[in-house]
Amino acid sequence: MKSQNRVVPGLLALSICSTLATLTISAGSAAATPGPRLRLEPAALTFTHAGEVREVTLRNTGTNVLRIGSTRVWHDGSGVPVFTADPLEATGLLPGQTVALHVRFVPTAATAPLPPGGAFGALLVPCDDDTLPGDPNPGGGAYIGSVALRSSQGPPLLSLIVFFPLLGIPFILLVPRGRESLTRIVALVTTAVPLGLALWMIRQFDPTVTRTAGTWGLQFVEHHGWIRGFPVEYFLGVDGLSVTMVLLTALITVIAVGASWSIPLTQHIRGYFALLLLLEVGMLGVFCALDFFLFYMFWEVMLLPMYFLIGIWGGPRKEYAAIKFFLYTLAGSVLMLLAIIALYYSSKATYLVDGTPTAHTFDMMKLAWANDFGAESPIAGFAFPRIVWLAFFVAFAIKVPVVPLHTWLPDAHVEAPTAVSVILAGVLLKMGVYGMMRVNLSILPEATHWAAQGLAVLGVVGMLYGALVAMAQTDLKRLVAYSSVSHMGYCLLGLSALTPTGLTGAVAQMFNHGTITAMMFLLVGALYDRTHTRELSQFGGVAHVMPRYATVFGLAFMASLGLPGLSGFIGEVLVFIGAFPAWQALTITAALSVIITAAYHLSAIEKVLLGPFNERWRSALAGFDLDLREAATLVPLAIIVIVLGFWPAPLLTTITATVQDLLTAVATP
Amino acid sequence: MTLANLPSFRHLVPENILVLGILALVGLSLARRPASRRLAGAIAFLACLAALAATALTAESQPRVLFHGLLARDLFGDFFKYLGLVTTAFVILVAQRSRDAIDYRNEDREAPEFYALLLSAALAVNLMAAASDLLTAYVGLELVSVMSYILAGFTPGSRRSAEAALKYVVYGGVASGAMLYGMSLLYGLAASTDLATIGRAAATAPALPVLFAAVLCLAGFGFKIAVVPFHMWCPDVYEGAPTPVTAFLSVAPKAGGFALLLRVFGQISGHAQGLADRSPWLLVLLVVAATTMTWGNLAALGQQNLKRLLAYSSIAQAGYVLLGVAAGGVAGQEAVLFYLAVYLFISLAAFTAVAAVADSGGGESVAEYAGLGYRMPLVAFVLSVALFALTGLPPTAGFIGKYYLFAALIERGHNGGGAAFYIVAVAAVLNSVVSLYYYARVLRAMYIDSASATHQTVAVAAVHRVVLVALTVPTILLGVYWSPLRDLVHAAVGTW
Amino acid sequence: MPTLYYLYLSFALFFIGTAGVLLRRNALIVLMAIELQLNAGNLALLAFSRSLGDLKGHVFAFFVIALAAAEAAVGLAILVGMYRTRQTINLDEVATMKR
Repeated sequence: MKSQNRVVPGLLALSICSTLATLTISAGSAAATPGPRLRLEPAALTFTHAGEVREVTLRNTGTNVLRIGSTRVWHDGSGVPVFTADPLEATGLLPGQTVALHVRFVPTAATAPLPPGGAFGALLVPCDDDTLPGDPNPGGGAYIGSVALRSSQGPPLLSLIVFFPLLGIPFILLVPRGRESLTRIVALVTTAVPLGLALWMIRQFDPTVTRTAGTWGLQFVEHHGWIRGFPVEYFLGVDGLSVTMVLLTALITVIAVGASWSIPLTQHIRGYFALLLLLEVGMLGVFCALDFFLFYMFWEVMLLPMYFLIGIWGGPRKEYAAIKFFLYTLAGSVLMLLAIIALYYSSKATYLVDGTPTAHTFDMMKLAWANDFGAESPIAGFAFPRIVWLAFFVAFAIKVPVVPLHTWLPDAHVEAPTAVSVILAGVLLKMGVYGMMRVNLSILPEATHWAAQGLAVLGVVGMLYGALVAMAQTDLKRLVAYSSVSHMGYCLLGLSALTPTGLTGAVAQMFNHGTITAMMFLLVGALYDRTHTRELSQFGGVAHVMPRYATVFGLAFMASLGLPGLSGFIGEVLVFIGAFPAWQALTITAALSVIITAAYHLSAIEKVLLGPFNERWRSALAGFDLDLREAATLVPLAIIVIVLGFWPAPLLTTITATVQDLLTAVATP
Repeated sequence: MTLANLPSFRHLVPENILVLGILALVGLSLARRPASRRLAGAIAFLACLAALAATALTAESQPRVLFHGLLARDLFGDFFKYLGLVTTAFVILVAQRSRDAIDYRNEDREAPEFYALLLSAALAVNLMAAASDLLTAYVGLELVSVMSYILAGFTPGSRRSAEAALKYVVYGGVASGAMLYGMSLLYGLAASTDLATIGRAAATAPALPVLFAAVLCLAGFGFKIAVVPFHMWCPDVYEGAPTPVTAFLSVAPKAGGFALLLRVFGQISGHAQGLADRSPWLLVLLVVAATTMTWGNLAALGQQNLKRLLAYSSIAQAGYVLLGVAAGGVAGQEAVLFYLAVYLFISLAAFTAVAAVADSGGGESVAEYAGLGYRMPLVAFVLSVALFALTGLPPTAGFIGKYYLFAALIERGHNGGGAAFYIVAVAAVLNSVVSLYYYARVLRAMYIDSASATHQTVAVAAVHRVVLVALTVPTILLGVYWSPLRDLVHAAVGTW
Repeated sequence: MPTLYYLYLSFALFFIGTAGVLLRRNALIVLMAIELQLNAGNLALLAFSRSLGDLKGHVFAFFVIALAAAEAAVGLAILVGMYRTRQTINLDEVATMKR
């Protein structure tokens, strides 16, 4: 045994070395073949203040004369040109010869002193050095050398927010045996930091920025190259829509960690919190990623933790619920993958953020604003944009969920532990609608017009169906789950109207439903922890023994049914106002669901809180009103629900500019 | 440039090192009995690493033709040599602690012979990777086959192992017979065994005989990479063979087979007016690929033995890779190479996990994996990562590999390949959903159905732990940053 | 004699070999049938070689003969081992691993 212990480090070193060796041998690099070679120094320039001038040197390091075409500056984003360079006409460089150029950073009045989202561009030098990437752009040179130009960006706030939870995972796994309660503290801290950062970000966020201000109307942009020879980029940024969702995600995750106190410490608690944190990374990443490849990776990263969280810590039918969730979502996302690839191959040639020319792009902003997919040749007889639109729609509709694809949701909710239900309803469902706005609406506007009526019908069907089925439920958690189906229908209806009010309503509904439904699941969980049942018929008169619980319960359910003065009302009324001009008959039909919604919410309140108290629960409930931890998770949400109820302005102003941009995209096909 | 015999040896250093290693092992087995398992393993491992290093150090971007045109030395072949040698190195380590390969509990029986055979198989894979002539292609393929037959039957006194070997011999013999017949037809059509000459001749020869010969050759290569309908041996052999050998078979001969497939059919169908333009050859490939992945995935659904399940999964994976061959072009070939490299880590990790469980006394059936996540956390974690990677989920390298394959298909469809490529792409992604279902069964057993199983931690052999970690790190790392591998693949395809 | 006759013969051999593999269940006969397939290939190689006036086909055939011998040796060894443990060489009776 001893000798083996000596062998092991050696073997470890050898095997790792061999792995690394095979990975890093860059085979073709060897001898440089003779010819013209362009070297640009420096390779990237970062400007910190307006009017700054920097020098770029072009040098021929090859053996032949280097022919250089006229250089030009290229700007990423929709923005105003902010970089200028000395003009250099077509010329030849002898081997060893150099030319110096000056590049200036001159923000215009519109963007002064610094563009809000940062400025990205590149100095492009067309030449005949065939080791550089060829330029497929019309009017470009044969090969392009480039110097990346950007304004200084400040700290990478979004990266910090998205990846901070990852830092907690090793600490959680390292918590010593017997001190498992520490995992909760670590998880709470590592989720609180992104929340704090998100709050700070939203304070810095300028809601007036639109697309015309540059960088596609984004803020806190981080845009870097990623893989050599493959046009994926590390591109994060937020606009009004995603900043709202990032805040919601960070908030709901902290609440979920608070709700996780009820998970027994003996039940693999390290794995539980590690997966929860990984899930948060995926969720935050989806809302921040603006490169399609990155977006898809974050989207899929959410699947695994969710599968295990439901599968290991869920209720009696957890296996079924977990695999159903997994298969549904994966089926949707592989469709999305194909659609992404199809869009990619149909996109126009452009430049990456560092000026590398590329024949196609994954940049969601360029796909949305600089490409028109209407002219693509049809696939198997179907118009290209429509078939791609449908693929995206199905992928997102499964997440929303839109009615025929919703059946995974009740199962997942009923089996999932409270905290996971909170995340599922509070954040994951929003991803579907977010995806529709970010992708279907802005990238494929003409197909959106084509599908708008169908979208509206699906929305109304979801509202009515969800509400009717919720009315028939005897299980409180299932009722709340179906109410989610119904409420997400509002978002779809608001979306389909393609009016500012409708879209604003849809976004408001997303945020408000996130907070309200999180409260509802927390309340259901609190009751279940005490009585181990969720049967509506088993309860009654809870208000007599748990007054605080009853107060919050009433508030949450009233908010959910859309009582004016509470936040749920805002989204619904905006959706109806926005949708009415577009779909009058449908909107009137949809209004029926308000009545049904009121009916089942009130009946739930009546069955749980009012009436005679079921003496069976005397020992479980009496004297066990909401404790401090539960209150700490519920009260912040309650405050948000009340405040946004009569003062929705902070939420609405944040999203106004983005909604305008979205509608511009739809209006100009 | 074409080199004569003697100058060619300078570019054959890796193979020579392997031969020296084999001779040393044979000498060892003659000298002492029972020979030390560790010593034999060390010799084999060092020979493998030295060959790997020699391949990397003597690699040149300028392609060369050796032995008057029998072998090629180019980055394309070198890439497949890396695959074969890295696989062999890992398998050597895994075999150190696998009772079904070397019976170390009694005495280190037959260790030198086992390693000598393994190195010979690695040598043959190198030969397949470098073949630029029908003769070397045939010899390489046969050598790999014969070594694999013996290795598959290596477990002493095991009925399963003997049965696996017999089935392997029978199916393998038929496949090589068919391939030889196809090759003889190609020789008759082109009046040469040189692949490039055959490629030029195929462009002018009548399409039907060329198609017939190509399909017969596909039988031989298809047997090595286990595509439907030449896959029948695969589940039995994977189940019956010693687990390290299964790990080897799942990667190295497949890589060699794909190297031949790309080289031979790249010549025959790649040219303008080649087979692809004049016959339904691409359709044949697409149908074979689609059938393979679907068949493999559907058959895997009902499997109870994990090795057998992984065998069917590897059939399905071969189908995915064949899609890249069908898509063709630079994108398709890069996708094939990339996926094979990624698949090396994933497949070896999965089978090493199986070997580690078997070594600690566990069974091979999925039911016996219940609670593994709590008994052997590392093994279960590695196996989960491998299964996710096989499904093609980010952030594992399996996703990137699948992405390149699907993208190559869609690019081909977009550039005038027709609707068939889109349809097959949809079939491929739906297949990955199906595959998730049976992979999830294993995950469920390991983590969810754990109520009845014991949660007592079980020790894992140190060498297995090392291999498991060394395989999982690149699986995840290449999923988020794959520039190095992409450069390697790009160079390999670019200079060919 | 024209080359075509040899090719007909080689195709007939290949066909017989394939049929033998598919139809017979005795492993020994199957191995023999495989040899027949290989020799069909050999014959075609030689016939082409003669008619083309090219020696490569002859060389190829020699390699095939050597490799076929190796394959047969390994195959027979495995067969003997199998017969010792199971007392049968019928391929259907040998199969115990379930589909």
